[in-house]
Amino acid sequence: MPGKLTALTLMAVLWTATSLAAEPADAPAKAAGGAADTTPSIFSFAGFGTVGVVHSSESQADFANNFQANGAGYTRNWSASVDSLLAGQVTADFSKRLSGVVQVLVQQRYDGGYRPQVEWANLRYEITPDFSVRVGRTALPVFMENDSRRVGYANPWVRPPAEVYRLEPVSSSDGVDVSYRMPIGNAINTIQVSAGRTDTKFHGGSNIPDGVSHARQLVAFFDTIERGFLIVHFSYLHARLTVDAVKPLFDAYRQFGPQGIAIADRYEMHNRGADFLGAGASYDPGKWFVMGEWGHFESHSFTGAANGWYASAGYRVGKVTPYATIASVRPAGNTSDPGLDVSSLPPDLAAQAGALNAGLNAALGAAVSQRTIAVGARWDFRRNMDAKLQIDRGHIGAGSPGLLTNLQPGFQRGGAVSLVSATVDFVF
Amino acid sequence: MPASRIYLLIIGLALCLVAEVAHADSVAVVSARSPIASLSRDQVTDIFLGKLSHYPDGILAVPIDQEEGSPTRDDFYRRLADKTPAQLKAYWSKIIFTGRGRPPDTVANGIEVKRRLAANPAAIGYIDSTLVDASVRVLF
Repeated sequence: MPGKLTALTLMAVLWTATSLAAEPADAPAKAAGGAADTTPSIFSFAGFGTVGVVHSSESQADFANNFQANGAGYTRNWSASVDSLLAGQVTADFSKRLSGVVQVLVQQRYDGGYRPQVEWANLRYEITPDFSVRVGRTALPVFMENDSRRVGYANPWVRPPAEVYRLEPVSSSDGVDVSYRMPIGNAINTIQVSAGRTDTKFHGGSNIPDGVSHARQLVAFFDTIERGFLIVHFSYLHARLTVDAVKPLFDAYRQFGPQGIAIADRYEMHNRGADFLGAGASYDPGKWFVMGEWGHFESHSFTGAANGWYASAGYRVGKVTPYATIASVRPAGNTSDPGLDVSSLPPDLAAQAGALNAGLNAALGAAVSQRTIAVGARWDFRRNMDAKLQIDRGHIGAGSPGLLTNLQPGFQRGGAVSLVSATVDFVF
Repeated sequence: MPASRIYLLIIGLALCLVAEVAHADSVAVVSARSPIASLSRDQVTDIFLGKLSHYPDGILAVPIDQEEGSPTRDDFYRRLADKTPAQLKAYWSKIIFTGRGRPPDTVANGIEVKRRLAANPAAIGYIDSTLVDASVRVLF
């Protein structure tokens, strides 16, 4: 709720500022170059979108993007509701230094609906061209393409490798960020520091009910070094996370005395410090590209810890860019727990404790373990549009559901899954 | 009969030549009055890609782009950064849709670029090499 309020407040601020800025002669900002042809509007509109279908070979579970309610496999053989989306963005240049941006995005959400969501809404003030402050909802560049992961046209793949891009649940922040850029020799170094909070509604899938993930006291540090065709990126994020959807499980554990309390304290995600550390690099001299990223997430709770990485390369042949990616994610913590010792309990309590242990182990066992090889091609078939075809072959770790959701009773953990995806991306 | 085919062939070849000429090289230019002594290719690339805001001597750089679809623009970015029009659009999409920046101001053609350079010594642009005259200094 506070997240929604913040976004609404921001939009109100934007519109107020707009109506104030509209009357005075604020236009000369642009006329610095001389020849004033026409006075440009302070508003500009742009948008992007994707129309895509994906097929999964696993009929007893769904492949969907993070937080989505359904996808390809179980719900639909071919799903158009995983990758398809539409977004519009209004940018307002109130003055040479003050600008605002609101981006609204429509795609399938955690509840299976398509209610538009405010992706970003922030005011940006340039203290100097290299030193800026933003207030509002902003993207957190925890991964190299995180800010633009939904802009299919801006990316080489159908979607960024989920093994890495799903490591970290927090991808935006309602708060403040400061960005400072400076040349160091022939390189350009950009430091960004963010502080804020965010709420993310998610689809629980089979093991956890739907809920909200609250991130509080979020602080993040990012460093990007660019030199010629080379980009190197580092990120660190810390937040206190709360997921109340599983609270009843731990409340019940606490009824079982010291042993139950110890289990609840260890695994409950309530105001629990979580850390993410990431590093990545890309090299793109035009004709070809290589890139890779690595990340480590540690939640100190039932969602555990994980390491993920990917490496990707592509070669451009005219308007077609074939590419290949290998990606892997492995849990870095325990994926099961003996739980309460049921042997010492009277039969009725033992049954309850057994059920709690099953619930806990279902949550721990949802840890993602998967290695995927993807091959595909992007075809820039006309101006501002591309078409992509991608085939993924994923090997799921033993006992893990991998990157799948909506697991059905017939679903076998481990094993392999294949995806075929076709998308058309556009910008306007 | 064959004569008309030969004419067609000649016209075709001539059109190819015209196309070649129209595709003459772009050159990076500043105003003849510009205080900027010299810039490396990498520095010009960084200025046009919005990564570098100032010239090495501290003056604010004002890059001037030509409109999308202009052959001079396509040639300039191909030579400068090995980027096709689609790659350049993808690059800017990434920046625009995260609200981190915006592409340089755009003008309609090389003559407009020269007009901008004349009005602002801190401006930097690119024009077709056939448009080079005493009002501009070629960087490369």
